[in-house]
Amino acid sequence: MKISGAYTLPVNQDRAYACLQDPVLLAQSMPGCDQLVAVGEGEYKMKMKMALAAFSGAFDGKVRITDPDPPASFRLIVEGSGKVGFMKGEGLLRLAPAEAGCEVSFEGEVHVGGTIAAVGQRLIDSTAKMMIKRFFDKLAALAQGDG
Amino acid sequence: MIAQNFDYTAPASLAEALSLLASGEAKPLAGGMSLIPMMKLRLAAPDQVVDLGRIPELNYIRHDGGRVRIGATATHHQVATSTTVRSQCPLLAATAAQIGDVQVRNMGTIGGSVAHADPAADYPAALLALGAEVTVANAGGSRTLSIEDFLVDTFTTALEPGEIITEISVPAGGGSGCHYQKMLQPASGFAIVGIAVQVTASGGVIASARVGVTGLTGKAFRAHGVEAALVGKSAAGIAEAVAGIADGVDANSDIHASAGYRCQMARVHAGRAVAAALAKA
Amino acid sequence: MATTTITKTEPLVGKRIRRREDPRLITGAATYVDDIKLPGMYHAAILRSPHGAARIAALDISRAAAHPGVVAVFTGKDITGVGPVPCGASLPGLRVPVHTILAQDRVYFVGHPVAVVVASDRYIARDGVDLIDVEWDVLPAVSDPEKAIAGDAPAVHPEWPDNIAFHHHQENGNVDDAFAQAEVVVKQRITSQRLIPTAMETRGVVADFQTGDKALTLYSSTQVPHLLRTLIALMLGLPENKTRVVAPEMGGGFGSKLNVYAEEALMGFVAMKIGKPVKWIESRRENYLTTIHGRGHVDYFEIAAKRDGTILGMKLKLIQDIGAYHQLLTPAIPTLSVLMMPGLYKFQNIRAHVVGAFTNCVPTDAYRGAGRPEATHGIERMVDMLAAEIGMDPVEIRLKNFVANEQFPFSTATGLVYDSGNYAAPLMKALDLVDYQGLRAQQKKAREEGRLMGIGISTYGEICAFGPSPATPAGGWESATVKIDPTGKVTVMTGACPHGQGEETTFAQITADELGIPLDDIHVIRGDTAIVQYGIGTFGSRGTAVGGAALYFALQEVKAKLKRYGAMLLESDDVSYQGGQCVCNKTGRTVSLAEMSGASYRAMKLPPNTSPGMQVTNFWEPPNFTFPFGAHIAVTEIDRETGAVQVKRYFAVDDIGNIINPLIVDGQLHGGVAQGLGQALYEQAVYDENAQLVTGELMDYAVPKATMVPWIESDHTVTPSPVNPLGVKGVGEAGTIGCSPAMVNSVVDALRPLGVKHVDMPMTSEKIWRILNSAQA
Repeated sequence: MKISGAYTLPVNQDRAYACLQDPVLLAQSMPGCDQLVAVGEGEYKMKMKMALAAFSGAFDGKVRITDPDPPASFRLIVEGSGKVGFMKGEGLLRLAPAEAGCEVSFEGEVHVGGTIAAVGQRLIDSTAKMMIKRFFDKLAALAQGDG
Repeated sequence: MIAQNFDYTAPASLAEALSLLASGEAKPLAGGMSLIPMMKLRLAAPDQVVDLGRIPELNYIRHDGGRVRIGATATHHQVATSTTVRSQCPLLAATAAQIGDVQVRNMGTIGGSVAHADPAADYPAALLALGAEVTVANAGGSRTLSIEDFLVDTFTTALEPGEIITEISVPAGGGSGCHYQKMLQPASGFAIVGIAVQVTASGGVIASARVGVTGLTGKAFRAHGVEAALVGKSAAGIAEAVAGIADGVDANSDIHASAGYRCQMARVHAGRAVAAALAKA
Repeated sequence: MATTTITKTEPLVGKRIRRREDPRLITGAATYVDDIKLPGMYHAAILRSPHGAARIAALDISRAAAHPGVVAVFTGKDITGVGPVPCGASLPGLRVPVHTILAQDRVYFVGHPVAVVVASDRYIARDGVDLIDVEWDVLPAVSDPEKAIAGDAPAVHPEWPDNIAFHHHQENGNVDDAFAQAEVVVKQRITSQRLIPTAMETRGVVADFQTGDKALTLYSSTQVPHLLRTLIALMLGLPENKTRVVAPEMGGGFGSKLNVYAEEALMGFVAMKIGKPVKWIESRRENYLTTIHGRGHVDYFEIAAKRDGTILGMKLKLIQDIGAYHQLLTPAIPTLSVLMMPGLYKFQNIRAHVVGAFTNCVPTDAYRGAGRPEATHGIERMVDMLAAEIGMDPVEIRLKNFVANEQFPFSTATGLVYDSGNYAAPLMKALDLVDYQGLRAQQKKAREEGRLMGIGISTYGEICAFGPSPATPAGGWESATVKIDPTGKVTVMTGACPHGQGEETTFAQITADELGIPLDDIHVIRGDTAIVQYGIGTFGSRGTAVGGAALYFALQEVKAKLKRYGAMLLESDDVSYQGGQCVCNKTGRTVSLAEMSGASYRAMKLPPNTSPGMQVTNFWEPPNFTFPFGAHIAVTEIDRETGAVQVKRYFAVDDIGNIINPLIVDGQLHGGVAQGLGQALYEQAVYDENAQLVTGELMDYAVPKATMVPWIESDHTVTPSPVNPLGVKGVGEAGTIGCSPAMVNSVVDALRPLGVKHVDMPMTSEKIWRILNSAQA
């Protein structure tokens, strides 16, 4: 599934870029993320517990940041797997100054497998969008608070 | 298709249910039309399930204080066939009659559906159009919210841990024309788009309109712009008035309907729903 | 002995008799596999691959094995000695990957079984599956059969990097000449999408190994209990005479249970290992992931003709999506498509090339129609396209090219011998029923009003009553036993294992007429290899056409024997058998069936050269297939705004030969049409580019519900089959085969004013809406 979108963070571009690379902020912003532990250059291990309506599932995952071109763009790869399935999202994030701060636009693909892929088709799109929105909402709040 | 172990309690009173749910850990079970399949697929694995289905005080439909008040565990079939609902808020009865299939309507409940907040559920469209209120309660007391405040996002509501829906109410008075128009997904019967319309009219000209939309986006919404555009229109002006129903929305997309198709179907079915409602007004 | 007036009873064959099996089915009194509960029975749950392709880097069962209630966990390394899942079809150069019952170091499709957990109840077994730790080394996968063989796809099986399972070529006449002489050539790529058979009852197995006797009883929801017994015994290394298969009541098969599955052998293996009975019931999700799918064709057709509509020849390149393995008949299914390719038409120049493509998907195999719906869809679409191209009415072009009545027996371009037929008859009858000219006038008016109305015709032919043994992978005969008790009650045992087709009723009707006894005196038994003589099974519309014929011959033998006892008891050499009695033609004295049967068991005296007892078994080998045909007409209208296809009327006129029970025939046709309609409008198994099945549940895979199926108007013409004494041909698949081309022809006809020439299935509303958009743009 292809995903794309744009979100404005209420901070300047340098600050936005830094926030998006900050494992502490990322961990706090990713919905359900329990911890994010650096395991290498731009690579983190992650534990997530997702809960949405009746759904709940634990995921072990990895976050990787590649092709960094501060403060303009980087590539983000998020992978997670658990008993209910697995997902892999990969996308290019571009940052550009905007009137209200910094616009972060993204374009990429999400692949989902296992039970969630087989039975959740009609929900994956809307759920993914909501998760991304929650992430940016939280990051926006944290970025401002910290800055 | 085999659930994990869980504790099951079926309290006989609301007070008992709320105390069992107070910790926020237990999962309330109403008709089970969404929760049980998820448990069987192990997408949901609650340790404790509190069955609300045996609490008489949650199952009622009455006309009281200018509103039709519906207990949370009233089934879709009860709502669809209730003479009170059919006479006082026929839009809700018409919507309930189109949910799922006979088995689902016999088991599924209005409270369960609304609390689940599935973006393609049928009820929210009608409840938004009707200006419904949702009463929720926990062990500490109860509060009442508008349906618009209650529905927060995809599968996300204003319910706090330990809270359940106890009642849904809509204004009584079925004097105007209404219609629920649904394009259903052929596998699941969920709405690809569902449009609930209530209009008042005189001499074939729309005086007021309320339009609820489900299935199109991550959560159901009221199409305020379309409602305003419909005022003063006769049948001939409907198509133009509803043309903006999908403007600026972030439409859902899945293997059954792309975002573009959904948007267009929202326009088409909104036009048909308003025309049908106007014809009855 | 008594003297009575013989009243001729009215024959039951041909009557609309309600199915005798239905009361128990609809009151919950039937016993399905999941209703079987044996003392001390354990339950199994299976860990399956979540990936389309992966190496199993590490597999740790220790947590599962230690879980309270779990008695055993088996993985791929434990099943050495168990033979692979068999492929019964053979083709020259066929590549057959070794299909072990549990994955070894690698998985090849989502759902591939990896380990089995055995526990004291099914909940604990399922918990145990979650406690197995697997480290997957995920590999690239391929799910699209055309991409798979394009040369740059990941190899499904590393030993065959081209992903080609086989090539199959068939040619007749002079195709190149035909195309060189052609005044018009029409080409079209036509797909028959992957479908999920969706039997209401999923698969299930109970295995019971009697440790003292070293004998295995396997209860399985199978269409072929005897074939399963033979093959399971071979896989497990058990003597076949110590292996018993019972197919209890079944909730549908549609070909998906015409197979030997890994889980059937696996449960046998587990039962032998633990020495206790074990049960596995397939979940719907497992059913969608691991029970065979049907269809899965990409077909490139070319048809050559003269401007007057005479078809000269046809070419086909057929890419069959095999899946990751061959199941029992997988590679044979597209060869049936080739055989059926000429349809009802007489042209003799044909060239077909089939390529089997391995994909990281569950195998395809026989699903209602099995290769013939795809072929019929192809020829009936191509004939319609040709008619449109040369501006000819679709009726006229068919009448022009049909095999003529005087040409039977007719050798087709693909080597079949059509024994009989009157192909214009059902078409003319259908046209009459629908008032074809009137419909065309309505259509003209509709078009003037801007409405999109379509009339679609399909005139299908079928190969049924599988079949002569030399032409089938596993023997094509069938068996029947008739035994009459000393009290005169009759038991029929059929080797055909009907499982919902109504033979408990139709076989009783045949028996009642032949023996002149009431229906209630007849009991039909099927499905237990310890009771019923060896048989082949029910599939390929063969139950009545082959199994019923075997029964007919057994009944003739038993009647002859009864007559010998009757003659002895009546002390006459001039007797006849009628109305359940033997009558002396000279004196009018009679003996009843019970008296004759009783005498045969008491055996105080025997007729000359006659054995005691009253039991006859017949194994009947059919001399040929049967070839039903018919005409289906679908009238549709398309909603211009939504793209939704509405079926306004649906007509089916089928020639299935003689009809034993019109009510059951109607039911078979309705069900068949519903499944054809499902393919035409709704159903599609969708694998994404990682070979994840995204239509993995009934929430996303749309089988037509009762409310989505139109009223079906049906009628028949009757051209009895000369192949069997009943003159029947088989009806199980006719509806499915006839329906999808009628539907697509109808929708294309509706869209013709917009310049549309072809639409692939499923014709979903959005697909049609997109076509409307691009046509109007």
